[in-house]
Amino acid sequence: MNARPALTVPLDSIASCFEGIAPSSICSCSRDGLPNVTYLSIVHRLDEAHVGLSFQFFNKTRKNIQENPHAQVIVVQPGTANQYRLDLQYLRTETDGAVFDRMNTRLTAIASQTGMSQVFRLRGVDVYEVLECRPVNVDTAADLAGRLESMRELESFTERLDACEDLDALLGTALEALADLFGHRHSFVMFPDEEGTRLYTGASCGFEPSGVGSEVTVGEGMLGIAAERRSVVRVTNIPVDMGVARAVRSEIERRGEGSILDKEIPLPGLADVRSQLVLPLLFRSRLLGVLCLQSAERGRFLEADERVMQIVARHLAASMANMMRTDSVRPIVAALGPEPEAPAASQAVIKHYQSDDSIFIDDAYLTKGIPGRLLWKLLQAYVGSGRAAFTNKEIRLDAGIGLPDIKDNLETRLILLRRRLEERCEFVKLIHAGRGQLRLEVRRRLTLEQLP
Amino acid sequence: MQPAGPAPLLTPDVQTFLERGGSLMVGTRDADLVPELIRAWGLRISRDRKSVSVCVASAGSARTLANLRDNGRLAVTCALPLNSNAIQLWGRCLGTSKATREDLSAVGTHRDAFARMNEGLGVPRPFIEALWQRELAGSPAMVRIRFVAEQVFNQTPGPDAGSKL
Repeated sequence: MNARPALTVPLDSIASCFEGIAPSSICSCSRDGLPNVTYLSIVHRLDEAHVGLSFQFFNKTRKNIQENPHAQVIVVQPGTANQYRLDLQYLRTETDGAVFDRMNTRLTAIASQTGMSQVFRLRGVDVYEVLECRPVNVDTAADLAGRLESMRELESFTERLDACEDLDALLGTALEALADLFGHRHSFVMFPDEEGTRLYTGASCGFEPSGVGSEVTVGEGMLGIAAERRSVVRVTNIPVDMGVARAVRSEIERRGEGSILDKEIPLPGLADVRSQLVLPLLFRSRLLGVLCLQSAERGRFLEADERVMQIVARHLAASMANMMRTDSVRPIVAALGPEPEAPAASQAVIKHYQSDDSIFIDDAYLTKGIPGRLLWKLLQAYVGSGRAAFTNKEIRLDAGIGLPDIKDNLETRLILLRRRLEERCEFVKLIHAGRGQLRLEVRRRLTLEQLP
Repeated sequence: MQPAGPAPLLTPDVQTFLERGGSLMVGTRDADLVPELIRAWGLRISRDRKSVSVCVASAGSARTLANLRDNGRLAVTCALPLNSNAIQLWGRCLGTSKATREDLSAVGTHRDAFARMNEGLGVPRPFIEALWQRELAGSPAMVRIRFVAEQVFNQTPGPDAGSKL
């Protein structure tokens, strides 16, 4: 077997060139000898001898490579700004399989975020053999990529998680550890609702305000696509990807075809986000949530980071699943707890609107839906009979609350409710009182009003 | 090498776009139709709008220059990093020569505009400066490529990419 000579610059030594941090360009040539140059937002490294380019539109490059398989791309190395020429030979176009699925998820996520799901579609992945890779200027030496050593950080991460006693503490600890150990200072976890149609933020770190309670639709935007497809979505240069998408959008509008466009979806989180890594939290194929890491730095999350964060996400999901089922096996404490502290003289009016279970405290909105129904039930018990201590189990079994038969979601709804109260109400607190136990702490005299 | 053709395709709008300071790439091909790319700087359009010149770093341009001597065919694409709008020129080389003082001045102006555009996208200026400094490693010389634009295309990504302007 005749092996092809090794590349002058091995592709894995310049792996960061294939992350889409700096745009690339491609030159193809027609059968009759006319070169054609266009820009690419990303060149995907498939292995040591192959790259993949997304095929979205029928254009001159597509036509040329069918006529003449030779092409060349120039990629730029982030950090050093070294440029490398890759001599390519077109081999085939893939329309399914792992490579296609991965590129399709990324493209679909960006298309959805920019309201262009009907326009921005991956028709195929053009696979090219890399015949040679060389620096544009031979006097610039290749800066070899360093290997990410994360074993110690991973060990510390799992150790910290193992010390947590409940879901709330687990999430808080996990997000803090991501900042402390890996430098990922902006992160949040979103949970699916009972119907699996929306995700809501249950915990966050590094955001002000916290964003807890904010929602996205499953199947829409980068977060929603990651949840729907149970796939990682990693974007290394959001302004460039969004810029390309908006350019296409403008072209569509210019053609008078704006009716096929959807609204652009605002990205939650950092206002100046440039890098984002969204990881589904899966336990035995069940979606428990998504973990989202953001950074204002372009190229912050590379392939190596994704691999490490996959381990983090899997361990976090397994720990979450364990926490979510523990209260059913722990002894149930009596529902009746100690009497609440005597409320202070000041008063507050809490309104519950039955139409959507929204709760307003002194006319300020707090929450709605199941968290609203939950809080209303607890407050009714508190005001009616003076009860302040509750168990998760009795809440779950309370038909009046009408929880769907998905026990995991009670824990996440309680976390959301607790965070909302912490942020928006000084005198009503929902205290975690051990596994599967809650305590309502009220420091004002409450008047409850039920409204249609 | 042929003389410049009579019909200027470079309208004032196209000229304004090309001179805004976007990313410039030049594509050529050899006798076997194997392409070669290189980054270019300092695009200038002649007063009669019939010819265009760009500069490339001498280091790393050997195949490009050989291809131009061989067949003269080239494509030049200019893309704005901020919105990905792009225009491509297809043309024929009129000649190559050492860059003049005016060419180098245009290169400097282009680099500054390109760096400012990228700073707006969060790309640090030192990275853009490194981009051109690395091109000059081994030799600071720049080569001027003068060509006539025979066709002009909208190269903005999307269904109309490749349509003639």
